[in-house]
Amino acid sequence: MFGDLFGNGETVVCDGGTTDGGTVVEVDDLTREYGSTVAADGVTFDVREEEVFALVGPNGAGKTTVVEILECLRTPTSGSATVVGFDVEREPHAVKERIGVLPQSFHTFDRLTVRENVVLARRLYDEGFAVETVLDRLDLDGYADTRFGALSGGWQQRTGLAMALVSDPDLLFLDEPTTGLDPAARRTTWTQIDRLADAGTTVVLTTHYMEEVEELADRAGLLVDGELVAVDTVSTLVDRYGGAVKLVVRAGSDGVDETVATELRSAAVETYRTDAEDLVGLFDDRSRAQDAFGRLHDLAGDRSIDLVSAGMEDVFLRLAGGTLDAGGELR
Amino acid sequence: MSRVWPLLVALSRDWLRNREAAFFALLFPVILLVIFSAVFAGGSAEFTLFVQNNDVEPGGEPTNLSSAFVESLKGVDALAVQSLDPDRNPTAWREGSRTTETQRLLVIPEGFGAAVRNRSLQVRMAVIADTTERMGGQLNASQTAQIRRNVQRARNATNATAPVTVAFRAPPDDESAPTVRGIVDSVVAGFNDRAIGVEEPTVAVESERVGGENLGATDYYLPAFIAAVVLINGVMTVPAVVAGFKHDGTLKRLAGTPLRRRDWILATILQQTVIALVMLGVMVVVARLLFGVTAVPGPLSVALVSLGAVAFTALGIVLAGFLPDPDAATSLGGAVAFPMMFLSGVFWELDVMPPAIRTVAEFMPLYHFHRGLRQLMVRGTTEGLFVPFAVLGVMAAVFVVLAVRTTRWRDF
Repeated sequence: MFGDLFGNGETVVCDGGTTDGGTVVEVDDLTREYGSTVAADGVTFDVREEEVFALVGPNGAGKTTVVEILECLRTPTSGSATVVGFDVEREPHAVKERIGVLPQSFHTFDRLTVRENVVLARRLYDEGFAVETVLDRLDLDGYADTRFGALSGGWQQRTGLAMALVSDPDLLFLDEPTTGLDPAARRTTWTQIDRLADAGTTVVLTTHYMEEVEELADRAGLLVDGELVAVDTVSTLVDRYGGAVKLVVRAGSDGVDETVATELRSAAVETYRTDAEDLVGLFDDRSRAQDAFGRLHDLAGDRSIDLVSAGMEDVFLRLAGGTLDAGGELR
Repeated sequence: MSRVWPLLVALSRDWLRNREAAFFALLFPVILLVIFSAVFAGGSAEFTLFVQNNDVEPGGEPTNLSSAFVESLKGVDALAVQSLDPDRNPTAWREGSRTTETQRLLVIPEGFGAAVRNRSLQVRMAVIADTTERMGGQLNASQTAQIRRNVQRARNATNATAPVTVAFRAPPDDESAPTVRGIVDSVVAGFNDRAIGVEEPTVAVESERVGGENLGATDYYLPAFIAAVVLINGVMTVPAVVAGFKHDGTLKRLAGTPLRRRDWILATILQQTVIALVMLGVMVVVARLLFGVTAVPGPLSVALVSLGAVAFTALGIVLAGFLPDPDAATSLGGAVAFPMMFLSGVFWELDVMPPAIRTVAEFMPLYHFHRGLRQLMVRGTTEGLFVPFAVLGVMAAVFVVLAVRTTRWRDF
């Protein structure tokens, strides 16, 4: 599957399993309950070959529950799912042979070096890439003899990525791959995932970073309180739910002037405030947004006003009724 | 199954680089061996006993008999006899003593010598009278009457009727007091015999060492230490390590691969078995170099240690399955391991325990493990080995099955 990335020219998809018209994952009415808590409530979606699919939602929305069911690490209460053509409940071993997993809060043997951990991961599968090739392509060769426990969070995540990729999986699960990383390490991880995507890798990604979804995902599913409220390509979601364009009034030291706020609220379809107290107005129509921009510009004086395209954050606001903070909590 | 080997290699490397685990598996048993061997095999014990001899002549010198009694006490190797001046008040002296040992006191009363002499004469006369009666027809009536008159005259010349008493005083927390009291009793018995003229003993005891040539105390302790360390590794270290892997997500990462649960359990058991055998070798070599131990584990000893490692490691994996937190797993392991160690006769003989505890001990797998190892390594016999092998074999089978059933490979 990752032949292009690792240079051996192999392109093998779903060997042994059967997929339906390029569908790698099929999830049907999947439910998982913990006592009275419903972590996943009738979730239905599919993942297509060679796409990056993102499950997006706040903490506790059920993202990890759904992904761990697909990784055969959790049992569904009801519903069904197939991964690379195999049923996750009846054929877990066949599924695990064909997937790569980077779990949330990834950890492996602290006192083994990066190379030793990747060698272990490789030997747990019948087939896969040469360890040195994977280390080289993920720029891990400089840390190959460093013990895992001595690495920073970013390099630990990259080691996890190497361990997930070394078996040449048909499908890669990345559960919150950049949570807890500093901005530079997050950006580097994105680059690595981008390279995988460019090489035709099928990836299922969970995240609460909207920027990450916009950067990496072809399609996304929004999970709120265990329910999948929307699934589509990122661009369609933004067009349909985010509004075509938005006006952002930057807050000064005294916030946003009330006259400006009132004008924006009357002109926009919906408004909300960001973490920085900026006021954001969503518009379905670009010309209406430009008219409003002209009026607000006169009212706001030297206050900064930007006209920008809408994004996944706006989609999430519309569908979940709030925004996500940096920690993944719904506000 | 092919996945067991790479995991075993990884687990072993991780363990070898874990200083704490290596210390508790290899160095700690050696320290235990050295300390116990030094304490219990370093020579005969000696108990301090203070003696206050109040039976003195008007000039202040001890009477001959009381002096002879003190000399009898000093003649016992196990006693370090020290004198307490007759002028000292024993109560004040005891309160001024700082350690338990120096509060152990034997008080010889005033008049001890005279009382012993009179009592001795009375006993001798009683013996003569009894002997005269038993001789019956061998003496005529006149001879018998003469002897009786002389005996009665001698009895009348003495006025002691009760035995003289020496007082043994020891505080209630003196654990060696019963032993010292027993030694004093034996000295008193010997002194009594000599006081009535019995110089040659009727019954004598001869000590012989049994169980093999050139065997020292450490030879006997070694199987106990090996059994105890295998238990500690399996029941305390394994739950902590496994719960640690579960806690930090390492186990979940492994469960997301084609590695099967049974492979994980098998690799863990194999790793601990290898550690147990390495530990066995290290302990035997150290015991040989430091204490001249001659016991050498043969193939059956190696088999029994391996079986013990399998049984206790499987138990440890089962315990880890109940608790996800490494600290809680260690505590639970301790709660299982320590009572078993103390009740199985590993560190001290079961003879000192009440009968009910001895019965309980026979249900402990460690008891049979230890007995089997001792039988093989010390006595060099295979007699009665079926029971230890059967007990550990059944235990291993039961807990391996339970480990497979209780180890979570989904829904962590």
